[in-house]
Amino acid sequence: MLTNRSLTIAVLVAIAVAPAGCRNRSRSGRPSNELLIVGYDREPDTLNRFSTHILEDIQTCIVEGLTTTDEQMRVVPLLAAEVPTIDNGGVRLRGDGGMDVIWKLRPGVTWHDGTPFTSADVKFTVDAINGPAYNPESTDGFDRITVVDTPDALTAIVHYREIYAPYDIQFIRGALPRHILQGRDIDRAQDYNRNPLGTGPYHVVEWKSGEYILLERVAHYWRGDDYPKIRRLLFKFIPNTNTRINQLKNGEVHVVALAPWDKYREMTAVPSVVIAKTRGNAYEHVTLNERQFPPFADVRVRRALISALDREGYTRTILDGLAPVAHGPVQPVSWAYSDRIAHYRFDPAKARALLDEAGWPVGTDGIRTRGGKRLAFTLITQAGFAIRESVAQAIERQLRDVGVDVKVELHDGTAISAIWFEGRFEAMLHWWQMPSDPELTTFFAADRTPPAGRNINYFRDEALTQLLYASDRTVDRAERKRLLERAQAIIADAVPEIPLYTVTRLDAVPASLAHFKGNPTNTGIFWNVHEWEITR
Amino acid sequence: MTPLPRFLVRRFAHAVPLLLLVSVLVFLLIHAAPGGPLEIYLANPNVRPADIERLRRALGLDRPLWQQYWSWLWAFARGDWGYSFSDGRPVAARIVERLPATFELVAVSLAGALALTMPAGIGAAVGRGRWFDRAVTTGSMIGVAIPAFWFGLLLQMIFAVSLGWLPSSGRATPGDADLVDHLQHLVLPAAVLATVLAAGWSRFLRGSMIQTLAQPFIIATRARGLPPPRVVLRHALRNAVGPLIALVTVDAALLVSGAVVTESVFAWPGLGSLFTEALARRDYTVLMALLMLSAAAVVVFNFLGDVAHALVDPRVPAA
Repeated sequence: MLTNRSLTIAVLVAIAVAPAGCRNRSRSGRPSNELLIVGYDREPDTLNRFSTHILEDIQTCIVEGLTTTDEQMRVVPLLAAEVPTIDNGGVRLRGDGGMDVIWKLRPGVTWHDGTPFTSADVKFTVDAINGPAYNPESTDGFDRITVVDTPDALTAIVHYREIYAPYDIQFIRGALPRHILQGRDIDRAQDYNRNPLGTGPYHVVEWKSGEYILLERVAHYWRGDDYPKIRRLLFKFIPNTNTRINQLKNGEVHVVALAPWDKYREMTAVPSVVIAKTRGNAYEHVTLNERQFPPFADVRVRRALISALDREGYTRTILDGLAPVAHGPVQPVSWAYSDRIAHYRFDPAKARALLDEAGWPVGTDGIRTRGGKRLAFTLITQAGFAIRESVAQAIERQLRDVGVDVKVELHDGTAISAIWFEGRFEAMLHWWQMPSDPELTTFFAADRTPPAGRNINYFRDEALTQLLYASDRTVDRAERKRLLERAQAIIADAVPEIPLYTVTRLDAVPASLAHFKGNPTNTGIFWNVHEWEITR
Repeated sequence: MTPLPRFLVRRFAHAVPLLLLVSVLVFLLIHAAPGGPLEIYLANPNVRPADIERLRRALGLDRPLWQQYWSWLWAFARGDWGYSFSDGRPVAARIVERLPATFELVAVSLAGALALTMPAGIGAAVGRGRWFDRAVTTGSMIGVAIPAFWFGLLLQMIFAVSLGWLPSSGRATPGDADLVDHLQHLVLPAAVLATVLAAGWSRFLRGSMIQTLAQPFIIATRARGLPPPRVVLRHALRNAVGPLIALVTVDAALLVSGAVVTESVFAWPGLGSLFTEALARRDYTVLMALLMLSAAAVVVFNFLGDVAHALVDPRVPAA
């Protein structure tokens, strides 16, 4: 009882001292060039960029790639002196069908411990990823590399056994430091995985599990001692959305990265904060699984479904004007985007006519029926996203108006991944974050149905498949764009899935923050954090 | 061997088959949940089926379930809890680093809950039907009915956002954490847990006290002229508190395993938030260790409850 009594006293003391002690504490401190606090919705699993399966916002502050993507999703050089292309002689197509990419590294870059960053690190990275001892998240692209030559410390020649169009983002996750990791079990190298040696503007000071990661500027960043402008960055892990917003209101955090849309209005009311909107490279859509629900195999049915949905209405009302209607899988931010494709307006009369034409007359209960089978399917989506649930309800309602019965089912995130990977669903409302390279093959090629890819529409079109593979083997950008424009036209015409809207990324940042640019890709908003500065 | 250690040995020997059974059940249950540790990788389109297969082999998930269980059990029994599927760190390290926050929150919440429960339960029983009793009964009904996450957010809105008196969440201010700062961070989550616990406990104690106070031996003690506080606190309470001890020990065991909701609302870095995270990612090794700890906590706290009951009520045999 003694222990309980003393603890009781401690609680009472805490309650008593709380009001007195806190007003002058740094809790409500304004953002400054000394400290910027980021409220983050998740804790990273590892800071090793090749091992993580979480967004890389924190990692990009520490570890830099040879290239990165900017706010307009252009690939720009970072640790490379320039992006290799055919025009500048950095890419050579070989007669045997392979290709060589010559990476010229930026001179004068050192790892945080002062060791020069060289082509040997690039070679070591490729060898480690392709080797049997290390288990990175993905070996995509690396497994097409036969060997890396290092004629000098600043040149790495990467030999591919076949043409690989997204070669320019092959090293977007940077390189592993050879002098630290050679001969070690990288999966278990916790010193590196929790506190990676990088070349970026920040290094890890402290990672307190379940609480925060504190970063501090490095002493001599390669861009010069003027960068970065902000001394410390604190990433606080706050999984609960309401708590995160409360912290923003309270001044306990200054930035809320990846803010949920349904909190948009609430956040705009917070003084001294602006909501940065970045048109993303992701699109929300309804996947129509032709294998699981054969009526989707009829293009007239698919066109009827898209015509029955008032997508403009969704973006105006449910989405509060935050996201524009999407017409296909390639978004306007991509260099490969084409607007010369079929657009479908909200036209329920046309939808009804198409369904009549496809042989689905309206039954006695108002639902269309053919051969005793009702035009009824289940639409699955992930639970916990208020806006997505509202969109699912709107779809259910509007399809019922044209005689299609939809049942909405909610699943948790992990369960839904398992379901789609096995193709065990009829329709799914979800979004893909597309790679910055406009590769569509894995999503639409006929032979890329699970488990070989992500064609979970089970859509098969030979002409499209050939176009997509041809584009993957084309390095010349103008030619590749032509191929991808034709592919987009075929996709829009055939409606293998129903595109709904382009996902917009929301980030709440201090109004006093200068040089915030945002980023539409998984590179994240911190790609130019070295420039960020609090101006008042 | 003295009687108590022999009793201890017997008591914990009985727990071994129970824990084994629990391990089989929870192993089957977490594997029956849809999805697995690799599903989170699928969101990245650059992760191809070959990558998934490679990772599955690396994590040993390609083996038959019984083999996975057996190798887990064999290692676990020897103190090797394995590595987290999510971040590759040793499971034991991931759990140990969460223990201080967990114990801190549990101890303060339990103490707070008892501090609320004892006067409320006893006072309500003694003054049955009067205003204090009605206030306690109404308050405890509200406390039982109120969802912890909502109550937590409400307290945040009032004390953190509107008044600015307390931090809204977290365990300490990074880089500025002294004792006062720690205590301030503790207030809101502990208040939520203490209120929710006390709401249930005080109703329980009230009922148990009312029953005891009506028993003949209490009437006899009153007839002997003992002062009322002595009658209530020394005679009635010691009889009435037994069931409450059982309840407190069960709740304490559950709290030690993690106050899942409260920890999530207040971003409290305890075992509860670790459990939520491990569950979402199907981090089997971490989940198994946490669930086994939880089962062990129930065994240990039940035992502690029995000892406490024996100490308070001499009629209860220690063994």
